[in-house]
Amino acid sequence: MKALFKRDFDSLAEIFALTEKFFTGEGIDAQYMYTVNLAVEELFTNMVKFNPDGDQNISLQLERADGSVRVRLCDRRVEPFDVTVPRLVDTDAPAEKREAGGLGLYLVQQMVDSLDYVHRDGVTTVTFTKKLD
Amino acid sequence: MFEIQSTGDGRIVISGRLDASQARKAQEFIDGVEDPREFDFAGLEYISSAGLGILLRTQKRVMSQGGALRLVNVGNHIRDVFRYSGFDKIFVIVPAPDAD
Repeated sequence: MKALFKRDFDSLAEIFALTEKFFTGEGIDAQYMYTVNLAVEELFTNMVKFNPDGDQNISLQLERADGSVRVRLCDRRVEPFDVTVPRLVDTDAPAEKREAGGLGLYLVQQMVDSLDYVHRDGVTTVTFTKKLD
Repeated sequence: MFEIQSTGDGRIVISGRLDASQARKAQEFIDGVEDPREFDFAGLEYISSAGLGILLRTQKRVMSQGGALRLVNVGNHIRDVFRYSGFDKIFVIVPAPDAD
């Protein structure tokens, strides 16, 4: 299942509707949908925030493969930004020393089973998988 | 669908999805509550890092006034996000009655 979404936070409602349709259509247990939605949101909003001059639309593809959900986001006419570089977040720090920045990609890196990044000819492709245990 | 309301006693009730598209609305609402003490998440289905940022900012504000936020009726998925982010260590969290 694949669709294009406008480079805007307001696309999230449509994105979540697509993932729900995909899970329902594939008969996948809804317990995995939270992680998939969260990873898609964090990666998509990262593209929106840091690539304001990219193509108008960002593509999202979901498929079931090898006992996993595989999700691919593709962003065109953008600068490199490697989302697989480990984000360092001190999760033991007290509230007054915590910052919200960087938390989104940190969560993605913790919660998905694989995360892959390719940037070629101005096109960023990010792929992640979530195993269906 | 996202909804947020205050019951007038420092308790804020949030339901639906607290994602990046709703973050500004949520932040502005919470900033307008003079003395937030408790968030009721019984109807909250989803929260992302955008929502976590709002909680963190609010916690810092409340702590600067000598208080601390309580998060009540927190479901399993949202507790998982708190655990991964370490937010379970900086908030008083009361699980939902049907949580594991």
